[in-house]
Amino acid sequence: MSKFIGSRLASALLTLVLASIVVFASIHLLPGDPVVMLLGEQAGSDPEAVARMTRELGLDRPLISQFLTWAGGLFQGDLGRSLRNGEPVLDELLRRIPRSLELIGGGLLVAVALGLPLGVLAARDRGKLPGMAASVIAVAGFSAPVFVSGILLVLIFSLWLNLLPSSGFVAFSEDPLLHLSCLVLPSLAIGINFMGVVARMTRASLIDSMAKDYVRLARAKGLSRGKAMTRHALPNALVPVISIIGIRAGNLLGGTVIVEALFDWPGLSSLLVSASFARDYPLMQGSLLAIFAIFILISLLIDLAQGLVDPRVGTNGG
Amino acid sequence: MTAVAALIRTTDIATRLAMLVLALVVAAALLAPVLGIADPLAIDPTNILASPSAAHWFGTDELGRDLFSRLAHGGRVSLAVAAAAVLLAGSIGVPLGIAIAFLGPRAEGAAMRVVDVFVSLPEIFVAIVVLAFLGGSLPALIGTIGLLYCPQFARVSYGMARSIRARDHVLAARSLGAGRLWLIRREILPNMRSVIAVQASLTFSFAMLMEAGLSFLGLGVQPPTPSWGQMVGTLKNYIFINSWPVLVPSLALFVTVLAINIVGDWLQDRLNPELQR
Repeated sequence: MSKFIGSRLASALLTLVLASIVVFASIHLLPGDPVVMLLGEQAGSDPEAVARMTRELGLDRPLISQFLTWAGGLFQGDLGRSLRNGEPVLDELLRRIPRSLELIGGGLLVAVALGLPLGVLAARDRGKLPGMAASVIAVAGFSAPVFVSGILLVLIFSLWLNLLPSSGFVAFSEDPLLHLSCLVLPSLAIGINFMGVVARMTRASLIDSMAKDYVRLARAKGLSRGKAMTRHALPNALVPVISIIGIRAGNLLGGTVIVEALFDWPGLSSLLVSASFARDYPLMQGSLLAIFAIFILISLLIDLAQGLVDPRVGTNGG
Repeated sequence: MTAVAALIRTTDIATRLAMLVLALVVAAALLAPVLGIADPLAIDPTNILASPSAAHWFGTDELGRDLFSRLAHGGRVSLAVAAAAVLLAGSIGVPLGIAIAFLGPRAEGAAMRVVDVFVSLPEIFVAIVVLAFLGGSLPALIGTIGLLYCPQFARVSYGMARSIRARDHVLAARSLGAGRLWLIRREILPNMRSVIAVQASLTFSFAMLMEAGLSFLGLGVQPPTPSWGQMVGTLKNYIFINSWPVLVPSLALFVTVLAINIVGDWLQDRLNPELQR
């Protein structure tokens, strides 16, 4: 088991290193001068001002040395300062990370709470109407782009039923109830898409388990089909479901981009988008890295959870 | 023609419907300029955010432009970007995957770990940063989406190339002196076709969603050129004035992606039955 945890940690670390190189390279190797952007049209045409600013920001140094400075800063928790307002990037990130985690958590909750029963139904009544309906709902959820389900949710729950706010954010400390009601629709929008992934995997894996010898034995003992399914097949069918959640965690995170824009939720993704439009590259680097770090952490936790649920994962090096 | 008829007869009703939808969408996109429909860019300030009428079948947008025409022209852009991105991803990813399969065990492991990292990282965030710098020109959009999806092609073609290389008749051919290029051309590529076709259908729907998402954020296809995602992004601001217009591109995207996924599933079952669960 400790060997398994070690190898998972090592691969998470490798991913983090590669991700930080991607983050740095994608910003520094592309054309487009942040200094000119920052100074604006007028001052940007003055070569002297541009040169001075470039020097102040350290952008005239070789790329490798810029990367080492940045990476060194990472270890000390220093991610630089925003070009726009001079605020430390880390402060802004720490404010926003919990908000994005809330969305991801909410989305995951919705996806599992709806996707598992749907998948079980689709497997149990395969070839019958309820099962086929469940399968269709799963594919539809999976195919609906997050902004389409988001817009439908706004129409239904804000415009027609007038139950929930259509967008916005209020801090939990200010008004806990309003905070949670603002969280519902974005979580549903992310969750419905991911629900399809969970349901499809649950269905496939449950059908697979139902054909296994231990289920046939349980049936031969006289257990009803429903009981054999819930007691024997389902627990074993969950292992691949947990692993698909890990593999597709990127979808969950990618969903926050659209949802944060659609619902004006001030999380990490909307920070990355607004920083990108402003070409505030320290903020871009910081938010991109934070997003990747969250992604890597989720994958790692899922891997470890899988090791706990299925003891075989740890032992044969899997 | 009889082959096509037989093909259609053996498919279920959902797949047939999905194929019909796709055929209609592709036809509308291809024929948009010659259909004699309204100019997608012609504005009409007296008739904005209208619901469907005889003059405007799908209503009008925030500048009074005809939504049916914009949907057809926007579909043209969305489908073309996705198709070009898939082509780019495949033409880089497939050779890359095959090349890695011939590197030898050590280098293979290392190269695939790197590829795996790129497959797993959520692509849209990198795309946001890259497009913020490059601007939302069509070549930049296609290039970015295509490059971001090429590791997936590399992953599947590496797996296929390796398994084909280990088959007995291929081993026999190699021991008789067959060269690598001969192997790739005569054994690996022909055997990979169906797996690549399935991967392409998957990537096509991902690429379409990625383009839609980026255009929705304002980083993809730039106005006045319409694309479905961009239309949703603009029209969502008017949802409380008239909720109809935003539904038009939203549902078009949903139905098209759903159809692609259903046909993709069918393709998967048909071409690679051994991979079925």
